[in-house]
Amino acid sequence: MTRLFVDTWAASYGASFEGGDGPTSPSTAKVETDPEVPAGDWHPIVAPAGVHTPDLVLLVDGVQRVDGTLSTEEDDGTSFPGLAASYAAGVVRCDLARGAAELAGAQVARALFTASPSVGDVTAGQVRYAVHKVDGSGELSKLHASVQGPLTALEVEISGTARTDGDLLVVDGPLRGRRHLPRTIGYIKKQDKQYLPPALTLVVTALIPGQRSPIFKQGTAWGCWSWYLRLPGASGAPWSGIVRVECSPDLSIEQAVELANLSLVTLPRFASTSYKDPRAPQNLIPIAGLERRLRALLGDPRLLHRALTLAAVRL
Amino acid sequence: MVHDEAVADETGEAVGRVLGTADATPLQFWTAVAPGSYLQLDDVVVTRRELPDRGPVTIAGVVTQVRARHEGAQFDSDVFAIADGTLPALVQEAAEITTTRVDPELYVPPAPGAIVRRATGDLRAAALHFDRMEKRVPMGTGRDGLPAFLNADFLDGSRGAHVSISGISGVATKTSFATFLLYSVFRSGVLGGDAINAKALIFNVKGEDLLFLDHPNARLDDETTRRYAELGLPATPFPDVRVYAPPRANDSSGAPDVSSRLAGVDSFYWTLAEFCEARLLPYVFADADDERQQYTMVVHAVTAHLARHAQAADGGISIDGTRLGSYPDLVDFVVARLTDEETRGTWAGSAVNTGTVNAFARRLIASKKDLARLIRGDLAARRPHAINTAESAQVTVVDLHNLPDRAQRFVVGVTLKTEFERKEKAGSAKPLLFVVLDELNKYAPREGSSPIKEVLLDIAERGRSLGVILIGAQQTASEVERRIVTNSAIRVVGRLDPAEASRPEYGFLPPAQRQRVLLAKPGTMFVSQPDIPVPLCVEFPFPAWATRPSEAGPAPSATLRSIVQSADPFAVVGGRTEDEIPF
Repeated sequence: MTRLFVDTWAASYGASFEGGDGPTSPSTAKVETDPEVPAGDWHPIVAPAGVHTPDLVLLVDGVQRVDGTLSTEEDDGTSFPGLAASYAAGVVRCDLARGAAELAGAQVARALFTASPSVGDVTAGQVRYAVHKVDGSGELSKLHASVQGPLTALEVEISGTARTDGDLLVVDGPLRGRRHLPRTIGYIKKQDKQYLPPALTLVVTALIPGQRSPIFKQGTAWGCWSWYLRLPGASGAPWSGIVRVECSPDLSIEQAVELANLSLVTLPRFASTSYKDPRAPQNLIPIAGLERRLRALLGDPRLLHRALTLAAVRL
Repeated sequence: MVHDEAVADETGEAVGRVLGTADATPLQFWTAVAPGSYLQLDDVVVTRRELPDRGPVTIAGVVTQVRARHEGAQFDSDVFAIADGTLPALVQEAAEITTTRVDPELYVPPAPGAIVRRATGDLRAAALHFDRMEKRVPMGTGRDGLPAFLNADFLDGSRGAHVSISGISGVATKTSFATFLLYSVFRSGVLGGDAINAKALIFNVKGEDLLFLDHPNARLDDETTRRYAELGLPATPFPDVRVYAPPRANDSSGAPDVSSRLAGVDSFYWTLAEFCEARLLPYVFADADDERQQYTMVVHAVTAHLARHAQAADGGISIDGTRLGSYPDLVDFVVARLTDEETRGTWAGSAVNTGTVNAFARRLIASKKDLARLIRGDLAARRPHAINTAESAQVTVVDLHNLPDRAQRFVVGVTLKTEFERKEKAGSAKPLLFVVLDELNKYAPREGSSPIKEVLLDIAERGRSLGVILIGAQQTASEVERRIVTNSAIRVVGRLDPAEASRPEYGFLPPAQRQRVLLAKPGTMFVSQPDIPVPLCVEFPFPAWATRPSEAGPAPSATLRSIVQSADPFAVVGGRTEDEIPF
């Protein structure tokens, strides 16, 4: 009989395994499944004895918020939409030996995204929205996506700070431009592509908390070593609590295995619980805390909206 | 976190900034405590605000509440994730500051974000108004270990008088604080030349605690001596003390009834002749509700008759040709005259019925046992026996602890009346007389009226101008006559009972202090004085004098002289002042 499971994510965040047609939609990327274990021999892997959580774990994340939607009136009477957005990126340093998690660095930036050729910076009260020119026609729906670029740049910039020997850097999302950083893993909490052939996917869905899949290599432009693991606190559904972790393709397979085992003992202890976080267990506790802090740093949205309104009137 | 961007001449360690998430008002505001700093309750802090046209305003206050919380935590259980090191959160401490002084008096709120500094030195003295006190009485140390002062103007009658001390008995150390305050007033030099003639009258109601004020404390250590020195006081016992105790019951020699202090105790009593002449009979009926009874008419009639007809006769008295040699004899005689139909009219007036007379007689007879040893007809009239602070030592201790309740009321009532009348006659406030009386709720209860309560009310309302300062102590201020409490300029609270602390009599305590008085430890008092809008929490040092026989060091030599030796052997026996040559 078919079993039903309710996803632990709150419905407004979508499902942890959607995007496109869900993880069932095959990826076009070239995948090598043999580096660690031959494809015919795939089985869940547990961390070998002697692998311990590092004392220092750094987690990087960024948040963005639209403070106001604007529109311009050009000299020729045409109009362009504009998006005034605040975004911030920060690092949490979890000193597990000392039992203290703290904000190790945070940067806030604001920008006005628009395709208008004539508009300048907007100064609203004490804050300033620097103009960020967008190519193309600049429809409002595309402006939202254009915030991601500067935010990722900010995240990349801040990822390099606050590093010490023996730590582990967990980046929320794909590694992107951070492959050169040592001891760094990318943490992808939402599974929207199926990289593996169906037979191997069954190995992934059979994982229990504390197990990971063997490492495989994605061969896309952003190719990297990658593996799946299941976090505790999942609902029991095949894809519930499954996250994909990746590391730099420049590493040797031995180094990648080492990082994979390290992630297997480290990440589960950061898993959140469903009654506290709408995206549990994938949204890690330090990340959730960091996002709250960063949102606080973005400033009061009502205040900014009012300041923007005033600035637009004076302009 | 806090940077020195403020005015360079500001001194004191920066401890935080004024909060913006809670309202800052001129009278109360919150301060976020900077990481690595701390503020505790009662710390004195100061902040400044620049005004565009008026120059800087200095706002000073004391910490009345401190809290710490995790910022960034949403759920109670987040504390485990935070302590585990997985959830980033800030421990943020904040302190509530109650303003004590705004200088110049421009009541503007401090600006959120303004630097808050710990006040030290002159800033601290200014914050607590010590700089404006012309005469300062040290009353202990604040929580910061520095001296705290009482404005003597509110103690000596210049601008106010009287002290009311409340607290649970045993833990609140009310009597110890009262004696320490006396010691401080006498020894700090604040009274100047008046200190020599200023007197104190202390009633000892419990144990023999106060009978050793002139004995050094054997447990006095260097640390305590140092604390006295910090307050500018020597750590010595009271230099000049005279102790009075009632005569032993059923003892014809009139020896004082004390067990632990053997030398330097004088007995006090009243002769029958004094009892009649000074009209002391009403003080025998000193129960709170007596005034409402019918028989008070009889009391006043008999008092007047005794004053008119009693003749001193060799220690005792003689009335209508009968010699009476003791208080029981007098009682029996009065009762016999009142029950006799023929004489009742002349003693009690004609309009009095038998029921009223019987009510009077019943109470008078009941007083025989309690008062027999205090009202004497068998001891020589010329033997010194009266309590008179003017001719006594600087500190006069009257021991009451062995006396039954009715006798205690009689002694307190008569002694206070005598002293107050003497001051009234003298007509000048100087020298001051401090009266220390514990269990004020017994002598001046809120309900009812009695002769003693009248005397105490008189002291509370007129004593200030006559130089009689009442230092009253009670377990519960709510049970003391309201006019006495409201007339006290200085209010002191030690540990309180929780139910008592919520009463309106303690409205001068801010909410946080009302909670703190429930756990105040012995030696900690909250002192409210008119100058300072917030009561100060002070710790007074361990007494330098013995408070019980086991602590008593060697007795001072002065106590070895008995009252007989101290009397002038050349004084004319029974000499009357009006016989003196008038120049």
